[in-house]
Amino acid sequence: MANAPVAIPQVYAAVPRAEQPSVASRILQSVLPPVLMGLVLVVVYIWARNSLEPHRQFLMPDAAGLWTQAFGLAEVRWELLDRGLTTITIAVVGMGVSIPIGMILGIVMFRFHVMEKAFFPYLVALQSIPILAIIPLIQSALGFGFMPKVLIVALFTFFAIPTTLLLGLKSTDRGIIDLFKLQGVNWLVILRKAGLPSAAPALFAGLRISAGLAVIGAIVSELFFLAGRGGLGQMLINAKMDFKYEQMYAALIASSALSIAVYLFFSWLGNRLFADWHESGGKSA
Amino acid sequence: MAIQLVRQPPDQAPAATTPDAGALGNALSFEDVYMQFPDGTHTLDGVSLALKPGEFVAVVGPSGCGKSTLLKIASGLVTHTGGTVHVDRNNLGYTFQDATLLPWRKVRENVELLMELRGFSPAERARIAQEQIDLVGLTGFENHYPKRLSGGMRMRASLARSLALNPSVFMFDEPFGALDEITRERLNDELISLYMRQGFTGLFITHSIPEAVYLSTKVVVMSKRPGRIVATFDVPFSYPRSPELRYAPQFSELCGDISVALRDAIEK
Repeated sequence: MANAPVAIPQVYAAVPRAEQPSVASRILQSVLPPVLMGLVLVVVYIWARNSLEPHRQFLMPDAAGLWTQAFGLAEVRWELLDRGLTTITIAVVGMGVSIPIGMILGIVMFRFHVMEKAFFPYLVALQSIPILAIIPLIQSALGFGFMPKVLIVALFTFFAIPTTLLLGLKSTDRGIIDLFKLQGVNWLVILRKAGLPSAAPALFAGLRISAGLAVIGAIVSELFFLAGRGGLGQMLINAKMDFKYEQMYAALIASSALSIAVYLFFSWLGNRLFADWHESGGKSA
Repeated sequence: MAIQLVRQPPDQAPAATTPDAGALGNALSFEDVYMQFPDGTHTLDGVSLALKPGEFVAVVGPSGCGKSTLLKIASGLVTHTGGTVHVDRNNLGYTFQDATLLPWRKVRENVELLMELRGFSPAERARIAQEQIDLVGLTGFENHYPKRLSGGMRMRASLARSLALNPSVFMFDEPFGALDEITRERLNDELISLYMRQGFTGLFITHSIPEAVYLSTKVVVMSKRPGRIVATFDVPFSYPRSPELRYAPQFSELCGDISVALRDAIEK
């Protein structure tokens, strides 16, 4: 009968309740790590710059150079602003093309399974095309104006939209769809009142990805379009050709800031729209 | 589609509206219903069950025996492959295993949903929704999102949503299965008072024998898949039922008999 081993109790002492960390220390814990990491990066940059031969140090401008040659100059600041606006316009118009078309495709693929079968492999194929490599082709076909740049942004941003929307629509709660069906409503009502709201958080995740890519696409699109008054991408190339490396860095920093701003905007918007009800939202139950 | 805007007086059982069901005198009936899914799964094997207006029938049976399929067939979510079903689908209430609230809608908007889909006017919707919210005890939570409600409160909101259409036949697919015992017993009592007030015909699927006996006028036992009805028990207790009933000897005895029938159904 007695197969179970004999219990040998040990002593486990209680641990007094830990003090709640103060507000100041919690702020410090969230702010300090990124600040320290930033300092480390600056130190690495300085070290890399100093280890370059003196005649090659122009490749990595220092802070003083960035200020006196770029950010400190009013005309450079104006140029950054002006070109930044051009870039963001290309990015926004490009997304204005890809979002509606991508959403319609997502909905069509959801509604008709055969359309999903037909389109999906080509969506993946489109995604796998190195868009950089076909920019010269687009240029030859459509010239140097605004529309080819918009097309390039649309190509950059398209993939994430139908795919995330389709995923979101497909994960609509079966029970909710049944509930609607029981009332005998048509498919469009189900899409509008159940599918799209339910898919919105997933779609927004896609939009956030696309928005970041849109700025990158807008800048890349200009690297091959040097005619006319262009955006930050053109400034990058022009500054390089004039050996104004400080200005090139300034354009680079502005591009990143633009990308981050667009990403943060969509994050903020998504959070605002879904915080009340979605798991990804800020407020907890 | 007929919209029933006139609310039934509470003491009067709703009249069946399809001539067919009326002729048979039943609110809902299954006659020798078979169900075989396209993948070959044989789910129902000649189920016959008739519910008179105002009756409350509970169905118990082993997991996967096709209890839920019965409700899906009655509501038209799936179509049976043999036999006949008589039902008025325009006046059908359906509560799912979980509350299936729309998470992006507040409680009030959720309760209004079915009325919205049926084309009720906004004023009518707001009035009935408030009535139903008060009735299920969610007053004060109208503007909460489902995420912030407990499981029991979500289920109450779900019941209010169905009740808003004043269904003549109300089907429940294990609605309280996921709730804790205490909440479940409270909701059982609330459901009984709703049933007495509205006078609907009830078809209630459950895994719990005491729940089935406590709620219903009749308990039906189904066999394992392919499901058939193997035993029927009349429940002799009158409404309203008090929680003490659960500890009465007759109650235990009936639960015991059903339990034996259910065990036989599983083993055969």
